[in-house]
Amino acid sequence: MIRVMLSEFIKIKRKLILFLIILGPLGVIGLQAANFGLRYDWLTSQYKEDLWRGLIGEVTMLSVPTILIGLTILTSMIANIEHQTNAWKQLVALPVSKMKIFAGKALLSFILLFVSCLLLFFGTIILGLSLRFGTAIPLFYLLKMCFFPFLAAMPFLALQTWLAISMKNQAIPLTTGILGTIVSLYGTGFPDWMPLKWPWLVNEWDEPVYSVLFGVATGLVLYLLSLIDFSRRDVK
Amino acid sequence: MSELIIETKNLTKKFGATRVVNHVDMQVKKGEIYGFLGPNGAGKTTTIRMLLGLARPSKGSIHMFGKDIRKEKLAILRKVGSLVEYPSYYGHLTARENLEAVRVLLDVPKSRIDEVLSIVRLTKDAKRPVKGFSLGMKQRLGIATALLGNPELLILDEPTNGLDPSGILEMRELIKSMPKEHGITIVVSSHLLSEIDQMATQVGIITKGRIIFQDSIHKLREQASSSIKLTVNDVEAAWKTLLSNGFTTDLVQNNIYIDNGTDDHVAAIVKSLVEHDFSIYRVEEQKKSLEEIFLELTGKEGGLL
Ligand SMILES: Nc1ncnc2c1ncn2[C@@H]1O[C@H](COP(=O)(O)OP(=O)(O)OP(=O)(O)O)[C@@H](O)[C@H]1O
Ligand SMILES: [Mg+2]
Repeated sequence: MIRVMLSEFIKIKRKLILFLIILGPLGVIGLQAANFGLRYDWLTSQYKEDLWRGLIGEVTMLSVPTILIGLTILTSMIANIEHQTNAWKQLVALPVSKMKIFAGKALLSFILLFVSCLLLFFGTIILGLSLRFGTAIPLFYLLKMCFFPFLAAMPFLALQTWLAISMKNQAIPLTTGILGTIVSLYGTGFPDWMPLKWPWLVNEWDEPVYSVLFGVATGLVLYLLSLIDFSRRDVK
Repeated sequence: MSELIIETKNLTKKFGATRVVNHVDMQVKKGEIYGFLGPNGAGKTTTIRMLLGLARPSKGSIHMFGKDIRKEKLAILRKVGSLVEYPSYYGHLTARENLEAVRVLLDVPKSRIDEVLSIVRLTKDAKRPVKGFSLGMKQRLGIATALLGNPELLILDEPTNGLDPSGILEMRELIKSMPKEHGITIVVSSHLLSEIDQMATQVGIITKGRIIFQDSIHKLREQASSSIKLTVNDVEAAWKTLLSNGFTTDLVQNNIYIDNGTDDHVAAIVKSLVEHDFSIYRVEEQKKSLEEIFLELTGKEGGLL
């Protein structure tokens, strides 16, 4: 599996993918910098109880849709590396199991998004510090708010990976991803069983961890189904 | 009998109700260049995709190196290099990076990259992004990738497709050198008989999903039966005279044809014509070209269906 990942990382060399990984968190932090810069007095009075939590909350508002749209584009770009010259036939004819090939693609998306979330974590700290919110950073809460929405979005990562890999025409996965992102903007009002609600980490029990558990469990099931589908499917 | 590298039995692939590959029994012996010949849409690529584990057979079995592909697919693929239809490559990467992306999966030493680059003569262009390569260079990179894992069997689907005459010649020389220099068995498909004729030692002809001929290229050439064409002054009278003297010949377009005649038979006919005072202008041998045999074979099959 390490070899598969090595190969995957060689293949994304010089692609816009790495730029995208930085652009996502950079965009979120940049927009929040502008937000706080323009409405500093109003926002700091709004959040005077806990400036850090206020900032983290604002960041999350943007990071959820960014994660969804980001994973849509990312999975599509990663699959497209093989679609472009139909390199699937070369890849699958190598002595590597199809399961590992699919797992490699999914894991690559996961790792890259994880890095994005990590960048968001540090970006938020830098932004808070430069806004002079003090050094009493709620690190654990920040960590949760950076990584939980991503983990709760696992069903989408699995779904988009599967769509992007099984169709040559990327218009379909891109459309479903963009529609999903738009719908998720209204996610907090949905019933608890709706996967599009989970990245927002709100549920009737008020336990963000539940949203994460639903997300990870459903994501794993979808991932296993896609894995089986891919390994059975003929390669064009 | 020499060792079989590929043996398929009743290999069948259905798309919907149509059998694109229909009960194919393919046998490829070690060290041969097996020319897999068939017109467009005959099922060559589909057969090859099944050999490479890219497509599942609807029916039948595939054994390669004596192993069942259903049970030991990865062990088989470890010994196989392939190039299917047009070449696959990662355009944004250089030739060397393309090979490196495959090399890490195969776990062969880094030095192997230089070796395969030099075999296909791409050493000088190794540092250029592949998207700027000509089709011939991309095709050669495809061969280099196929050779990377030191394969014992090379499966090439229409490797000369789209190449110019010099590219075709180069590819052909490269393919022909493989069994000699590296002991590799090769399956090479084409829809052009002349091409197979110039490199293959064994031939399998497929049309409409069925193998209609499978033997050595010599056996195929033997089928190229010859006939003798006679040009004489009064052709009709000559033909009648021959018939009355017990020689059956064919009269086609003012020429007399003797099919499959032995030397003595031909001599007897000529002698008889001379004795009856006919002027013989020409005695020529007419060989059926492989192309004609191919068309005859594939045409016959088409007529049956
Ligand atoms: N995925 C598919 N679904 C339906 N039909 C298919 C599929 N793949 C191939 N075919 C059909 O199977 C037939 C054989 O195709 P194949 O590509 O194997 O032919 P070929 O011998 O390689 O021809 P060519 O010389 O044109 O490459 C064709 O009629 C093609 O339309
Ligand atoms: Mg073909």
